[in-house]
Amino acid sequence: MEIAAIIINVTLFLALAPLFEGVIRKITARVQSRQGPPVYQPYLDLLKLLGKQNLVKGNWAFSAAPAIALASIITAIAFVPLGYKATFLTGYADVITVIYLLTLGGVAVLIGALASKNTYAVIGASREMITIIMVEPVLAMTFIMGAVKVKSLGLDASVFSIAVSGYSWSVAVMLAAFLLALQAFVARQPFDIAEAEVEILEGPFIEYSGPNYALFKYYMMLKQMFYAALFVTMFVPFLRTGYYFADLGIQLAEIFGVFVLISLIGSTNPRFRIDQAVRYYAALIVLSLAAVGLSVYGL
Amino acid sequence: MPSRDDIKKSLTDSFKGAIVKMEQPIDSRLFVDIHKEKVREISNAIVKMGGRYQVSIGYDNIARDKTLGLVHAFAFDRENLFLLLRTSAPADAPVFDSITPDIPNAGWSEREYQDLLGMKFTGHPKPKRLILADDWPAGVYPLRKEIPWNLMPPAAEDVAYQLDEAPAGCTTVPVGPFHPTLHEPAHFAVFVDGETIKGCDYRGFMTHRGIEKLCQTQVSYNEIPFIAERICGICGSVHATAYSQAAEMAFGMKISRRAEYIRTIMLEIERIHSHLLWLGVAGHLIGFDTVFMQAWRVREPVMWLGERITGNRKTYGMIVIGGVRRDITPEVKEDILNVIKKIETELMTIHKAIAGDSAIHKRTKGVGALTREQVIDWSLVGPVARARNVDIDARRDLPYAAYDDMKFSVPVVDTMDVWGTVVVRILETFEAISIIRQALDKMPNDGPILTPVTEEIPPLAHAISSIEAPRGESVHYIITGENENRPERWRVRAPTYPNLQGVPAMMMNNQLADVPIIIGSIDPCFSCTDRMMLVDMQSGKAKEVSGKELEELSRKLTTGR
Repeated sequence: MEIAAIIINVTLFLALAPLFEGVIRKITARVQSRQGPPVYQPYLDLLKLLGKQNLVKGNWAFSAAPAIALASIITAIAFVPLGYKATFLTGYADVITVIYLLTLGGVAVLIGALASKNTYAVIGASREMITIIMVEPVLAMTFIMGAVKVKSLGLDASVFSIAVSGYSWSVAVMLAAFLLALQAFVARQPFDIAEAEVEILEGPFIEYSGPNYALFKYYMMLKQMFYAALFVTMFVPFLRTGYYFADLGIQLAEIFGVFVLISLIGSTNPRFRIDQAVRYYAALIVLSLAAVGLSVYGL
Repeated sequence: MPSRDDIKKSLTDSFKGAIVKMEQPIDSRLFVDIHKEKVREISNAIVKMGGRYQVSIGYDNIARDKTLGLVHAFAFDRENLFLLLRTSAPADAPVFDSITPDIPNAGWSEREYQDLLGMKFTGHPKPKRLILADDWPAGVYPLRKEIPWNLMPPAAEDVAYQLDEAPAGCTTVPVGPFHPTLHEPAHFAVFVDGETIKGCDYRGFMTHRGIEKLCQTQVSYNEIPFIAERICGICGSVHATAYSQAAEMAFGMKISRRAEYIRTIMLEIERIHSHLLWLGVAGHLIGFDTVFMQAWRVREPVMWLGERITGNRKTYGMIVIGGVRRDITPEVKEDILNVIKKIETELMTIHKAIAGDSAIHKRTKGVGALTREQVIDWSLVGPVARARNVDIDARRDLPYAAYDDMKFSVPVVDTMDVWGTVVVRILETFEAISIIRQALDKMPNDGPILTPVTEEIPPLAHAISSIEAPRGESVHYIITGENENRPERWRVRAPTYPNLQGVPAMMMNNQLADVPIIIGSIDPCFSCTDRMMLVDMQSGKAKEVSGKELEELSRKLTTGR
């Protein structure tokens, strides 16, 4: 059953991530008084890209980067529990593993961008790097707060810590920090700075096309859903029935709610400049450190 | 501010020997012919008296007295006076003193005539090629009369524009020739240190089609308004009106008051359209697509209205020499009032939303900052100037059409940045709505909408006209033809022409992420600046092209078959 949970996790993510992307596009369109594409449009986009010619830069890093990014996020998905049920792998990992895997995805984007040697890609890469350095600590602090609460770095212990301990001051502060960082985690406005179409033309991805680009796109969609799922699993663990499939359903509904939030914030904000974003991220780091501090004192 | 007479007197007193003659065909237009040696000195004196440099006009006069003529145009905004400083130099040694070192905005005009007429300007700080393609042969000056309009020199490989040297320690980020920030081809080479901008070089005029040359050699007076309208897709009526007014002035004719009112209404409808369009683009440029979509939704009825009045959603084809082509009937008037009412309500909602949105403030306040002095030094115009506390507006200062009958305020703010241009443009849209209401209310019911030209057209008459386009002041200069039914010289200066020259100063020390909105804040119109167009002039006929033919044509162009 625990091995089946891995398969269920990965299958659900792969199957639904484009749908949630479609939901974002639809809601954004409605906010903008547009009809918007059908919610299944992202599937078609992926299929179309996969059917195109693969234009490559001629060095291995450029070609390998999309696969590494996608592989890293799928691995992370396999580790993290969905439907409040630990997978076979969860017990073997600690929080550091997941942080590593998520960072690896970001680093793959960086490598791909730098390997493409495009001016815009390099600017995008430097912005992406700043974002990773400044935002990843919030994620790390979230896990660490959980670990402090249950006195274990184990992934399941940390992820389910709030389910065990209930809400407290530290959780409230961390929840706020995580929500404020959510748009940056999923690279949506106001923090889609690394891609910024009108400034640097999708930055790191400018030289990518066809199947390689499809992999990156899929990676972005999965990453988006991963952060939404992580938020739901960690911070809203109380709507549960105890029946695995019912829990899965509830959790997916909650993830849907997070996506509505993401699209509403995304469609009502302009893009920040990187220097403004950095100040914002710095405040988030302080906030999340405060949450960890509170948790150390058992608050 | 000196009065018109003071200005005349002061010039005559200080430069007695240099002034050949003064002409004042109408009170607001003062032509001063001078010897070319004093051109820089007199220009500086004019600017010192409060004159604002507008544009320079160069023309080929070789057939008559073997000279190349040059006119520097200045405006005294408080006095409603255009001062045209005319001079000339022999065609075999067409050397003038450059006025650019003191009046930086003359830089492009002088470079333009260096390219097109073969003039030389001593002391020009950056005498690089501006307009001609990099592979255009040296020594061929296309605006000279001896060069045929359809000359096509063979293309050359391995020639490229040499960009300015990047400052030490800076990398060059190309914005253009094709870039989503620019909706038309132009190339900004932005020199950045990290993400901070330390300078920029501009290479534009990539779609220059020689519309002025074409109109000086191939078509007649009455056809030019339609070509003028196609200089720009957004301010078509502006160019058609500016041309028509200049021509009417040169012909010495007056049009009916009703026609002037209709022109005013068309110009203001165009302003509403342009500002809403700009607001959308600006939203897009700072990554705020909701503003983009909503502003364009509100804009849609304006285009419907355009079709209702003129038959065209944009590029109205309304304005011709002598007046306008269509009347505003009582039913149309009703529609206009309904549409502007709807726009007013919706724009108020948008205005409130934007004014209170701190995220938009973050992206626009303090961005693209210029001081008031810089704006005046650079002779910038329109909302770009008014956002920096420079109170100029051609509608009020150099009135034309029916604006002298309208009551409106000119929004001026002192935030000195891109945010100011947002505020100015939104407030101006409300003013435009109020002007349309007044015009519809006060419009005289009699008078022909089109006055025919009956008098003989005086040869070689000079005239200048300026219009406050949505983007700023648009200036047209005409010299009437001698024997042919077309102008000897027609010079167009769209507002982007001066404003684009101020962009490098606005970008200095801003972040790379601000480049789109800074360029966007002047509402750039490269096609106006390049003066391009696509009309089959050989047959002179409009040919209908079916969708299929168009497809085949574009296929042929792409495949070369």
